[in-house]
Amino acid sequence: MFFELNDEQKGFQKRAREVYEREVSPLVEEYERKETFPASLFRTLGKEHLLCLRCPKEYGGPGLDKISECISTEELNRICVGIGAGVMVQGGLATDPILHFGSEDLKWGYLSPAVRGEKIGAFALTEPDAGSDASGIRTTAVKQGDEYRINGSKTFITNGTICDFVTVVAYTDPAKRGIGINLFVVEREDTGFSVIKKLEKLGNHSSDTAELAFDDCLIPKGRMLGGEEGGGLEQLEETLKSGRITYGARSTGVGQATFEAVLSYVKGSVRHGEPLKRSQAIRFILAEMAMSIEAMRYLTYRGAWLFDQGMATMKDASIVKLFCTESLQKIVQKAMAIQKNAGLMMENPVQRYLRDARLFKFTEGTSEIHHLLIARELGL
Amino acid sequence: MDFELSDEQKDVQKAAMEFAEGEFDPDLALELDRARGFPESIWKKASQLGFIGIHYPEEFGGQGLGIFENVLVIEAFCKVDSGIGSALSNVDLGSEVILRFGSYEQKKNFLPPLTKGEKRLTVAFGESEDGKDFSSISTVSERRDKEYLINGKKRYVLNASLANTFITLCKEPKEGWIILIVERESDGIEIHPIEKMGLRMISFSDLHFKEVRVPLENRVGSDGDGRMEVDYCHQAMGLRSIAQALGMAQGAFDRAMQYAKQREQFGRKLSLFQAIRHKLADMVVSIEVARWLTYKSATEYDLGRMDPGFLSIAQLEVGRRLIGVVDEALQIFGGYGYISEQAIEHYFRDAWALGVELGTEEEQKDLIAEKILGTDLMKK
Repeated sequence: MFFELNDEQKGFQKRAREVYEREVSPLVEEYERKETFPASLFRTLGKEHLLCLRCPKEYGGPGLDKISECISTEELNRICVGIGAGVMVQGGLATDPILHFGSEDLKWGYLSPAVRGEKIGAFALTEPDAGSDASGIRTTAVKQGDEYRINGSKTFITNGTICDFVTVVAYTDPAKRGIGINLFVVEREDTGFSVIKKLEKLGNHSSDTAELAFDDCLIPKGRMLGGEEGGGLEQLEETLKSGRITYGARSTGVGQATFEAVLSYVKGSVRHGEPLKRSQAIRFILAEMAMSIEAMRYLTYRGAWLFDQGMATMKDASIVKLFCTESLQKIVQKAMAIQKNAGLMMENPVQRYLRDARLFKFTEGTSEIHHLLIARELGL
Repeated sequence: MDFELSDEQKDVQKAAMEFAEGEFDPDLALELDRARGFPESIWKKASQLGFIGIHYPEEFGGQGLGIFENVLVIEAFCKVDSGIGSALSNVDLGSEVILRFGSYEQKKNFLPPLTKGEKRLTVAFGESEDGKDFSSISTVSERRDKEYLINGKKRYVLNASLANTFITLCKEPKEGWIILIVERESDGIEIHPIEKMGLRMISFSDLHFKEVRVPLENRVGSDGDGRMEVDYCHQAMGLRSIAQALGMAQGAFDRAMQYAKQREQFGRKLSLFQAIRHKLADMVVSIEVARWLTYKSATEYDLGRMDPGFLSIAQLEVGRRLIGVVDEALQIFGGYGYISEQAIEHYFRDAWALGVELGTEEEQKDLIAEKILGTDLMKK
C-alpha cells in the first residue's frame, strides 16, 4: 500500500491549483453575485487541459485516471463549488456516457469539442416528478423514421441555460419501467428544445441551473447512445458511480476551504479578552475538522483507486458520497456557528460554504437513497 | 404546575395566527427577502391590532399583558413566515430596558410610538462579533454640563438603518458603563449596512458615533455600572430569539409535513417511508422540547425571577433544535427545498441568522458550567 500521490500526480495537483487560483479565484465573487456561470472559463480550462480529464488522448483528452480527476476536483471546489459544478458536469455526466456508448461521430462531434471547452455540455435526468425515483421519468423518445421525437420536461439541470448540447434520458418504451430507457444527445439549436427558466437557489450561485423543455423535439436517430433501444439506466451505472466518488472530492475541497478559513479566524480572534484559540472547546472542534478532512480525502482516493482498477461497486461509491457529504455538513455548520455575526456576512466565504455544501445532500442521490443503496448491497 | 395556556393566552395565540395567515403573503415574503425590504404595511397593521408591545402597560400603549403573550405572538408570526415574523418581532428591541429601568418620562416618550407603528427601537451594545464581550467596548460618552458627548463605533447593530432610536451602551470616564437613549436624527451618526445571508428583512449595520450629543435625561437607570441593564436586555432579547426559533421550527416542520404527504416517489407518498416518518417524528420531539423550554423561560421572566443559567440552557437547546429541524425539513423537500421559490429555502438561511443571536454552544456551555461549578473560566 502506498499512501502518497506519485510524482506525476503531485505535479498535476500543483499545476491544477495554480491554474484555478489564477483563472477561477478572481471570478468567484462577481459570478456568485450575478448568479451566472462564467461561460468563457470553459475555453480557458480547455486550453489548460483541465476539462474532461478522463477522456482518452485519442479524442483529444488528457487521458488521466479517476484519482487525478479527484485531485483536480478537490482543488477547484476548494475555490468555488458553483463553478466546480459546471466543470464537473462537463467532464462527467454530460460526456461520460458519450465516451462509453457514443458512436465515433458523437465522440468527435461532442466529446472532443467539450474537452477543448468549445462546446458546453449538460445532463438531463431529473424531472419535476422524478428525482430519487429515476425510473419514474416521463420524458419519451419515439422513433419516427430516421428521427426520434422527444417530449418531456427536465429540472435542476446544471449548465442548462448555457449548454450547447444536453445528454437527455428518456423512455423509448414506457411500458418497460426502468428498462425501456435510452440516452440522447440534443443540441441547443434543435427545434422543440427550450430553456424554460433559470432557477434561483440557496447556494451554488455561480452554477447555472435551469428547467428545460422538449416539445416535439426532433433529432436524428444517430444521436441515441448505443445501437439499440433499452438499457439506458445501465449505461449510466459507471457514470453515476464515478460521479458519486467525485462528490467525495468536492466535499473534501469545500471542507478544506472551510477549515482554512475558520483556522485563520480562530487564530486571529479574541473573546472576553482571551485569544479564542485558548478555548479547549474550540481546539476540539478544529481537531475534529482536521480529522474529518483526512478521513474524507483518503476515503475518496480509495474510491477513485477502486474505480481505476475497475473494482468499484455502487456500494463503494455510495459510501464515499454519503460519508463525505455528511461529514462536510458538520464542518460547515460548526464553522458557521463559532464565528457568530462574522459568519453571517456575505463577504465571509464561510456562509457560502454552508449554503453550497448543503446541496451535496440532495444531488446525485440524496443521503437517504445512498443509505438504501448501501443496504441493498449488504444483501438486505 | 400548569402546562396549559389560559383562555386569554389562547385568544392571543389565535388572533396572532389569524393575522399572520391573513397578511403574510408568501410571494411578498419572497420579494422582501430578495429586496432586503421591510414589511412596512404589515407592521402598521400589526401595531393597530395591538401586537407590537403587547406586554407594555396600557398607559404606555400596550395591552398590559406579559412577555409570555409576546412570546406567543412572535411564535405565531415566525411559524407563518420566518422572515416577516422575525422582522415584526424585532421592531422594539431594547424596550424592556426602558420598561424596567426607565423613568416615567422616558416610558411616556419612547414606548407609545413603538406600539403605534410610528417608531422603531434597537439596541447598540456590541463592538466586536461578540456583543456580550464588555472588554471589547470602547465607545465613550463624556459627561458635559447638559449632555453626554458620544464617540465610538458599534458593530453588527440589528435594524440600525430602520430604527429611530438606539439603546446604546457607552463608557463614561467617571460614571462607568452607562446606557443612553440616542435618537437617530442626532448629528454625528453614521450607519454602514452589512449584507448578511439570512433574516434579510432585519438590516445589519455598523454604527458610528462622532461627537453625538445626548441630553442628560436620556440616561437609563441611575447608579450601578450598566451591567445589570445590559444583562437584563440580553435576557429579553434571548427570550425573543428563542420564541422566534420555536416559531421557525414549527413553520419548517409544518411545510415539510405537508410536502411529505403530497410528494410521491416510487409510487408512494414520502410520508409512507419509514426514514421520512422518523425524521418527522424527531422534528416533533425537538419542537416539544423547544416549546416547553421557551414557555418556561417566559413564565420565569414574567414572574420577575428569570434565571440566566436556565435561559442559557434554553438558548443552547432551542438553538440546536432549530438548526436540526430546519435542516431536516429542507432535506425532506429534496432538491426543491434548495430553490428560492420554496419558503423553506429562506427558513434555512433565517434559522442560521437567528442561531447567531442565540449565541454559540460553547459560550452557553461556559455560562451553564459557571452556574453549576461556580468558577468563571473567562474571568479567571
